Amino acid sequence: MIDRRKFLTTVALGTASAAFLSACGGQSSTAGQTGSAENPVTITYTWWGNDDRAERTRKAIALFESKNPDVKVNGNFSDFAGYWQKRATEAAGGGLPDVMQWDLSYLRDYGQRNQLLDLGTVKVNTDAFEKSLLPSGQIRGKTYGIPTSTNAFAVYYDPAKLASLGIAEPDGSWNYKEFNAFLAEVGAKGNGTLFGGTDYTGIWWNFNIWLRQNNIQAFTEDGKLGFSKDDLKKWWNLTADLRGTGAIVGEDKATQLLPKSPFGSNVTATEVTWDNFMAGYLADSGAKELKLVPVPSDDPDNLGLFLKPSMLMVASAKTKYKDAAARFIDFMVNDPEVGQIFKTSRGVPASKTQRDGTTFEGTDKLVVDYEKSIEKYLKDAPEPPIVGFGTLESTFKRVTQDLNYGKLTVDGAVDAWFKEAEDLIKQNA
Amino acid sequence: MTQSPTLSRRSTSSAPSQPRKSRRRGADARAGYTFLLPWLLGFIALTVGPMISSLYLSFTNYNLFDAPKWIGLDNYTSLFQDERFLQSVGVTMQYVVFGTPLKLAAALAIAMLLNSKRKGQGFYRSAFYAPSLIGASVSIAIVWKAMFGDSGPVDQGLSFFGINLGGWVGNPDMTMGMMILLTVWQFGAPMVIFLAGLKQIPADLYEAASMDGAGPVRKFINITWPMLSPVIFFNLLMETIHAFQIFASAYIISNGEGGPAGSTLFYTLYLYLRGFSDFRMGYASAMAWLLVIVVGIITLIFFKTSKSWVHYSGDSK
Repeated sequence: MIDRRKFLTTVALGTASAAFLSACGGQSSTAGQTGSAENPVTITYTWWGNDDRAERTRKAIALFESKNPDVKVNGNFSDFAGYWQKRATEAAGGGLPDVMQWDLSYLRDYGQRNQLLDLGTVKVNTDAFEKSLLPSGQIRGKTYGIPTSTNAFAVYYDPAKLASLGIAEPDGSWNYKEFNAFLAEVGAKGNGTLFGGTDYTGIWWNFNIWLRQNNIQAFTEDGKLGFSKDDLKKWWNLTADLRGTGAIVGEDKATQLLPKSPFGSNVTATEVTWDNFMAGYLADSGAKELKLVPVPSDDPDNLGLFLKPSMLMVASAKTKYKDAAARFIDFMVNDPEVGQIFKTSRGVPASKTQRDGTTFEGTDKLVVDYEKSIEKYLKDAPEPPIVGFGTLESTFKRVTQDLNYGKLTVDGAVDAWFKEAEDLIKQNA
Repeated sequence: MTQSPTLSRRSTSSAPSQPRKSRRRGADARAGYTFLLPWLLGFIALTVGPMISSLYLSFTNYNLFDAPKWIGLDNYTSLFQDERFLQSVGVTMQYVVFGTPLKLAAALAIAMLLNSKRKGQGFYRSAFYAPSLIGASVSIAIVWKAMFGDSGPVDQGLSFFGINLGGWVGNPDMTMGMMILLTVWQFGAPMVIFLAGLKQIPADLYEAASMDGAGPVRKFINITWPMLSPVIFFNLLMETIHAFQIFASAYIISNGEGGPAGSTLFYTLYLYLRGFSDFRMGYASAMAWLLVIVVGIITLIFFKTSKSWVHYSGDSK
């Protein structure tokens, strides 16, 4: 406990002083500055995540520093929502951290606007990556991000909770009707203390998968919406009968649990999300084991699933320590020992070197096995999201929350989201 | 930096045309401006400069990254078709209209209680003032959030009396009440000012009123209220402006999202989200300027109406 607190304090102080120092320093060079063991350079690294990830990152940083005595890494983290507001402020002031964990949703916003370093110009080894995976970090031929891992969408459930209610474990071959019936059963037997799940229609990526199951593209090549209001209406109507019942945990409850999720707080029996949440959920909930099965689909041959390159590593275009930043990124994505530290908490390692060097046991093995089990259903990752996609994603969630509060009808929600999307596409045109 | 030479030059150049007396005045002015300089530089660099640039940005589509492009009044006109904007105006007005008078009433009531001479008066004054010292801080908003959560102390306390409202934090119909309670609880600053004002009211007025058989209500209406009216006016003005600017507590209680269901989407919070989450800095700047204008107009209205109910000593009446 003390250890972690000490770490967090150092992190906070370190970032503050690093920001101060970098603001004072005026010198710059094209090759980037280098340090020595006696006089190390300090780079800043920031990520989003919970305490569990912070602890693992601390270990990885310590390992990196012991292998690279000429570089010190100052770490800093926050939750996902606040993360992007902070980055926007820093970018406007020209003070982005040297190295950052990044999400696909925001790669265009920053990459296209010259905020990120072209990693093709520095030494980061990508030989051990699937060739199909790298383009997602590239924009107009420049590599801005290297994925640390791949994530797939899945339905999580807690077998112990289902057993206590006397409900059979699902096998993952279900359509939406069956999935809804399952949520309703949990809700009915859970009797107000255990809910089926959260409203799965509130997550953009779940909608995206449903679109793929119906062979609809989310975004067109020219950055417009590829689906109609009717499609979104159908989607939000899927859970219309479940809202306000025990099948779906109420928004008033879920809101109060933040920053933890209802599933991590043992309030729901299932959750539909990315498979790399496993470690976080286990740590948050204290459950003995959690299991993964595929998402429902009305077409049993087309689950719409794909591997999403996730937790990209990027560097600031303005970093003064390009060499150190590149070495840190290379280390985080390729080093087998880093794989041992993170296991599947970032997802399944994308680099073969790191994947092969990591032993997966217990729940980590479940995640790896899950991604193997859905291999035959996997299709290409979806088209890169449009500029401003992060806003659309959060609006999607917010509008569904209003839907669950009964403040909006499905029609009203669809109109609200489309207005926001159309505004945004017009803004960026 | 450029400001100081011009100021001092102007003050010396005016000196020769008028003899002696104004030379001393020039030296005084120079000293005055010199002492003023640190504040003035900060004011120009940190307040006036950004304000002017935000005025410019409010007419552009600035997005934090690309060079701003002039789009005229588009930001201002699209504000009124933005449902979230209208919602944020509604939420903020509710807060100002209900929160401010309640806060002032609480401040005045406590000030009157503390005005009498009793033992340990200093302790009570400090105790009542304490919430406003810590009230604006981040930690108290977090405590507030925990207190009003499901099975938090407030929920439990109310269920003891058979009132089952559940957690306030997650209930869109209760969050405004919670936010207003939070501001009312921080009545310390206006209370101290009221207390100072109460001390200024001559005791013989009350004595005379007692002689004439006036009760406490009568005394309050005919002596305290008019005598205190300049102080009430000052507090009303300051607290209203202050209420329009609420941000930190709303940001923390709603995890920076203005939820649940937009019930804590205060004007400044929406402005922040537009600027820093959606990268629409031009739009956010337009919102900021609209707020400045509206608060300015409200202040003006206050001053206009104040003539009818605020009495300054020395007024003929």
